[in-house]
Amino acid sequence: MLEITNLHARLKDGREILKGIDLSVAAGEVHAIMGPNGSGKSTLAAVLAGRDGYEITEGGVAYQGRDLLDMPADERAREGVFLAFQYPVEIPGVNNMYFLRAALNAARRHRGEPELDAGQFLRGVRAKLKLLEISEDLMQRAVNVGFSGGEKKRNEIFQMAMLEPKLAILDETDSGLDIDALRLVARGVNGLRAPDRAIVMITHYQRLLDYVEPDRVHVLQGGRIVESGDKGLAAELERRGYGAVGDAA
Amino acid sequence: MTTLATFPVKPETRPYLDAFAGAAGEPEWLAARREEGLARFAELGFPSRRSENWRYLDLRGLEAHPLLPSVMGQPMGIPNGLALDDNAARLVLVDGCFSAVLSATAALPSGVWLGSTRQAIAERPGLVRAALGGVHQSFAALNAAFFADGFVLDLAPGAALDRPIEIVHLASGAADASLHTRSLIRLGAGARATVLEIFAGPRGDDGRYWRNDVAVWQLADGAALTRVALVEESAAAVHLGEVAATLGAGATLDGFVALFGGGTVRHEASVTLAGHGAQCRIDGAFLVSGTEEANIVTAIDHAATGGTTGELVKGVAAGRGHGAFQGRIVVREGAQQTDARQTSRNLILGRRASIDTKPELEILADDVRCAHGASVGELDEAALFYLRARGIPTEEARRILVEGFLAEPVEGIADPAIREHLLRRLSQRLARLEDVA
Repeated sequence: MLEITNLHARLKDGREILKGIDLSVAAGEVHAIMGPNGSGKSTLAAVLAGRDGYEITEGGVAYQGRDLLDMPADERAREGVFLAFQYPVEIPGVNNMYFLRAALNAARRHRGEPELDAGQFLRGVRAKLKLLEISEDLMQRAVNVGFSGGEKKRNEIFQMAMLEPKLAILDETDSGLDIDALRLVARGVNGLRAPDRAIVMITHYQRLLDYVEPDRVHVLQGGRIVESGDKGLAAELERRGYGAVGDAA
Repeated sequence: MTTLATFPVKPETRPYLDAFAGAAGEPEWLAARREEGLARFAELGFPSRRSENWRYLDLRGLEAHPLLPSVMGQPMGIPNGLALDDNAARLVLVDGCFSAVLSATAALPSGVWLGSTRQAIAERPGLVRAALGGVHQSFAALNAAFFADGFVLDLAPGAALDRPIEIVHLASGAADASLHTRSLIRLGAGARATVLEIFAGPRGDDGRYWRNDVAVWQLADGAALTRVALVEESAAAVHLGEVAATLGAGATLDGFVALFGGGTVRHEASVTLAGHGAQCRIDGAFLVSGTEEANIVTAIDHAATGGTTGELVKGVAAGRGHGAFQGRIVVREGAQQTDARQTSRNLILGRRASIDTKPELEILADDVRCAHGASVGELDEAALFYLRARGIPTEEARRILVEGFLAEPVEGIADPAIREHLLRRLSQRLARLEDVA
């Protein structure tokens, strides 16, 4: 599904953030990428989603056999790549439902499918809202405007559930969530686990991994993956902290 | 015209003076007003860009190529989707003249009079005479000399309309001409009305016409007027609209202008809050692309105590378009407890578009609350990336953000049918917008 090879990326100011990432995620797998602040976690997510402001100096990313970095951000999304934002953006004046329908129809057009009519769309929305316990009123408001932190994160997972991506990247989706919201988000993510879908969870803490069990855990530090293991590694990190990882590796 | 010989005549007014013939069969008072108007126009000439109220508008094209008044009587229908589905009455003017065929004004309740200005001159001369008084600025003076028709809405004290009155000003674009219309809205004490005025011309580059629309609104104590103007003129058209409103004690004016199309479009509203506790809201939105120009000019005069003014005007310029907002609020000495707020927010798409904004407060009273703010910016890159990260193609994402930006003031329109209509027209306008990038 996703094949990252020796990926180097730097900011426009020349600072190198990713210093040779190798990562392979197969369909059906859930991977967790953990690491301290400033290790390059969010940069990796941004580069995969196609955000401007980064320069790839070496290496590459293959997604379903295609060169991911060659595709504009919107095309990546239509091809099934989804990024759950660490800081979901507020968009005044743009209604949530309108936005979501535009996104769904863009993907459907891309696949050569007919656009959804209002009834089909609404039925889909209601089922998924219920799963994440999001009130329908929230959907009639502007995108993320006036949402609490938890509501914003749940809205990300709701969008993910609606768009049914092939590769989902969750950037610190657990940060700032109370335990109830965390459970709801985890329920949403678990509901999306499927043999034809890969999920990459980027997180600072082990918390989310108690609810969404990963197949593989990687430690990102100084722009490189310094250690990989099974879910047991997350628990170990929780005990000994990130400081010891580099030494162990 | 011997009366004109005593005035210095500005050269750009000459073609209009030569075209003036007066209208046969009109009452003497009206003929006199027309001549006064013409003389004043000859004296003033075109407003110069040195004049503060006109500094952002380029009228050289109009000055170089005069567009003379002409009555065309071109038969035409209302384009699909332009007007509301449901209204209390509809009055249609084609090329500035009343069209009985397209109008439907029969079903109005008692206490409500709606008709063409010509009909009002015959049936309610006193009313029209009052509306033609006062000292005119240059184009209003020209309008007094040449107006062909317009509409008059007169509500008796306490009369109220639930559904909107719709006024549709169509331009055929059949010939190069200027269309001068003069209208009046008078609401008696406690009367309430909602008026949607639509100004439209043929799509595309046909129709080099100049619409010069002048209106007077008189709101007696406790009256409430909502007036929404939707301007979708032709790409080569000039539209100059001028409104002068007077509000009695406790009267409420809720005004909205949507400038969504036209080569050169300017809308000026001058509002005098003459009675205690009058309330005025003037919101607006403009969208220019290609080489279009749009100006929203407001002058609010707080002449009495306890008045409130709220203004939210949002503008978007794309292509080589240019937009401007000039808002002036004056709080006169003694107009205590005035509360005035003014906000101008603007968005520029691309490097060749530009927007000027000039909010202005002149406060001569000491116990007041006044605030204003203005900004000009570009599309929010973070929001754009968010939409693209959900698969929405860049151009569509930009349109969605522009629509969201301009929808905010439109959402404030209280009448649901008019609000939905404007949102629909905005969305259709954006779908045609080519230079969104």
